[in-house]
Amino acid sequence: MRELRDLGWVTGRNSRGLLVLLGLFVWSTSLTGQGYIGKRLESLTQEGAPALIQVTDLVNSDQWEPRLEVVPNLGLSNNTQWLRLKVDPRTENGQLIEIQNAGIDELICYMICDGEMIATYERGVFHETPIDSRIGTYPSFPIPLVECGEMQALFRLQSSKPLLIPMRITGPREVLRGAHERDVLFAAYFGVILVMLLYNLFLFLSVGDRSYLEYSIYILMIGGTQLVLNGYAPVFGAENWPWLNLRLTHFFGVFSGLTTIVFAQNFLRLSHYVPWLNKLLNVYFVLYLVAFVLALFGLLVWSYRVIDFCAGAIFFLIPGAIVTMRKGYAPARYFLIAFSVFIAAVIVFVLKDTGLIPYNQWTFFALPLGSAFEVILLSLALASRINQLKKDGAKAREEQLELAQVNEKIVRDQNVVLEERVTKRTSELEEINATMQGTLNELQSAQQQLIQSEKLASIGQLTAGIAHELNNPINFVSSSAQSLRRDFEDLNAIVEAVKSLPVDDPNIAARIQDIHALLGQLDIDFTQQEIEELLNGIEDGANRTSEIVRGLRIFSRMDGDNFIQADINELMNSTLVVLRSNLRSQSQVRSELASDLPQFSCQPGRLNQVFMNIITNAAQATEATNLTLEEREVVVSTLRVESIGQSWIEVRIKDNGAGMEDAVKAQIFDPFFTTKPVGEGTGLGLSIVMGILRDHNAEVDVQSKVGLGTEFIIRFPI
Amino acid sequence: MINVLYLDDESHNLTAFRAAFRRDFQVHVTTEPTEAVRILREQPIEVIISDQKMPSLSGVEFFELIMPDNPDPIRMLLTGHADIDAVIDAINKGQIYKYISKPWNEAELKSLVEEAAGLYHQRKLMASEGQQLITKMDEARVLARRIQQLMSGGSIATAEQQVEIANLANQIDRLLQS
Repeated sequence: MRELRDLGWVTGRNSRGLLVLLGLFVWSTSLTGQGYIGKRLESLTQEGAPALIQVTDLVNSDQWEPRLEVVPNLGLSNNTQWLRLKVDPRTENGQLIEIQNAGIDELICYMICDGEMIATYERGVFHETPIDSRIGTYPSFPIPLVECGEMQALFRLQSSKPLLIPMRITGPREVLRGAHERDVLFAAYFGVILVMLLYNLFLFLSVGDRSYLEYSIYILMIGGTQLVLNGYAPVFGAENWPWLNLRLTHFFGVFSGLTTIVFAQNFLRLSHYVPWLNKLLNVYFVLYLVAFVLALFGLLVWSYRVIDFCAGAIFFLIPGAIVTMRKGYAPARYFLIAFSVFIAAVIVFVLKDTGLIPYNQWTFFALPLGSAFEVILLSLALASRINQLKKDGAKAREEQLELAQVNEKIVRDQNVVLEERVTKRTSELEEINATMQGTLNELQSAQQQLIQSEKLASIGQLTAGIAHELNNPINFVSSSAQSLRRDFEDLNAIVEAVKSLPVDDPNIAARIQDIHALLGQLDIDFTQQEIEELLNGIEDGANRTSEIVRGLRIFSRMDGDNFIQADINELMNSTLVVLRSNLRSQSQVRSELASDLPQFSCQPGRLNQVFMNIITNAAQATEATNLTLEEREVVVSTLRVESIGQSWIEVRIKDNGAGMEDAVKAQIFDPFFTTKPVGEGTGLGLSIVMGILRDHNAEVDVQSKVGLGTEFIIRFPI
Repeated sequence: MINVLYLDDESHNLTAFRAAFRRDFQVHVTTEPTEAVRILREQPIEVIISDQKMPSLSGVEFFELIMPDNPDPIRMLLTGHADIDAVIDAINKGQIYKYISKPWNEAELKSLVEEAAGLYHQRKLMASEGQQLITKMDEARVLARRIQQLMSGGSIATAEQQVEIANLANQIDRLLQS
């Protein structure tokens, strides 16, 4: 169905061209097929190319044979052929004898009037004839206007092509009209050829398909052949090269044959569909080359015979095209039609030559007409082939596209699945993230709580220490004050007794004795000593209370996280004060504080937490030894050091406690790491310490040996 | 005068204590537990006051230490800082009479010491009375045994025997009445 539609489309589009050709054909039939006068001729054959003979002698030779055909065929040979025509001088003088064959190599016409030669005309390849003396492309000979009893025209002919003699006698106007009509006809033909040539060349240039180029060359050769066969060789300017001019027909014959073979082979894809024909055509190809070589070496007749033989190859193209078509190659259909038309034209042409069908305008134009049709139909065939190729390509592309779409669908489906998975995973991850975020938040808040509780613990420790530290001095100060009052009352009694002594009392001695007795009674010596001790105690208590209060004031900054200028020694002392009561039962604490330390920017409250933590740990470490209380020692020292081009305040907290293994030492700053039993330590103390020190850009070094003790060295940059 | 022993590592406290109570009690003070033990041995101490928080040992530990040899003196724990563990230990191990917090109230502390001394003497008295009672009971038991012997003859007691039994019975009556 589809092919039929395509066919209809192709023919529809090119129907205009077909109509034009049909018009040309109809018109060509109206050409004056005036009667050829072959039957009036007599012929004579001379073997080879004899030396010039006396024409007048030959006229009266008895070897003349009458021709029986309307268009005599003198055959193809190297012989010299003679023709004799009796002209009726009364009716035919002033008219022209025309031989409608442009392919005669040598043609000499002798006009003999009453046995006397009155005119000689030379035509043909070897006889240059001025263009303006010609009428049309065919040789023609005027019959002289002379009074004559008997007039004869003698023709000497020689050609390397078949000598066909379509001769007629007609008026100059008629010849001219005929020439003109032929010109028009061939102009139309060559127009068709030229259009097809350019069209296919253009297609070749735009599409790039090699078969268009081959076809263009084919068209060129076909057209050229027709051109030469019909006497239009001067178009090529071949006149000026007689050698070439003589062989032009052969060359065009050879090349059109070669291009036909190549075109047919490629177009029908014979190597694929009909291999045997392909091989056969290769043989023909070689034969054509032989014909070419023969022509080159001047064996023109033989060359022509080979070409004639090779022309038979065209008949094989018909079955070739049929086989190819049967095998499903659609463009072969057009090829078949085109070649059928052409072959039909060739058959007509050949039959005309052999005289089996009449030589007239119909048969004469069969070849160019057939060839024009063929060229057009082949062009259609080529278009169809290209269409087929395109269709195949499109089909292949469609299949690929389909495949690609299927692939794409698979990929899309896969993508959907993947996307679903990704979404699922993402949501899972998000869920996990949310959970982890929740956990993290909980952990952070737990950490905050732990840090806070650690802080509260140290505040608690501090309060307990402070309470205890304050209780003692307050206790003995208040108690001493009361005792002092009583002691003072005793002293007062003495003083009163002394005051009551009258200045001039004669019993002064007795009174003094009374006073002494009172002194003894009140044990004033002891009281005096006691007063001294009580005052010392009160003084000491007051000092200690104020010291504690000062320490407390420094410690009260504990929650203040602002960086302020502070004295490291003051911080250290306040820490030691609040820790004193706790430390007293654990270890001897000694401090060696350098006096020349500058204030530095720090968070005093947080640093107190640091020192308290480390000192408490140090004191606890000394408890875990066999040392007595007096032997246990924690030394706290501060000093200024210069190192790495910078000044530092160095704090060392050294104990002679149990010390640590390296493995323990490596973890002491890790959160929740503790060596204490469960419930006694959060494991956060030193990790918080580390955080605080990091905030101070401090460097921390810990040196420890099991059984010898531990030393924390902290350096604050100043 | 009540003999009071006060142990505290803070010497100012000792001074203040002595100054406050020397007129009322016989005050013995020391910062050293070993010295305290020596004083306990040499002096008839009725009340012992110890600070809980001391560097070498705690008050509770000190009481534990002296208990076997000196069970009688009344023990009071003095501390500046309420520590629930110390309180529990004080009651369970140290058999503390009173728990006093610093700073002490002089009058309160004085009455507590007097109370403690009263308790000490009451206990002492009760102990001696108990002893007397036991002695009397023993005597009564001897007399009762004698009566039994006299009664166990099986025959009618002689007049002298009857008089003796009556005397013995009277003696038991007196003993029981006392």
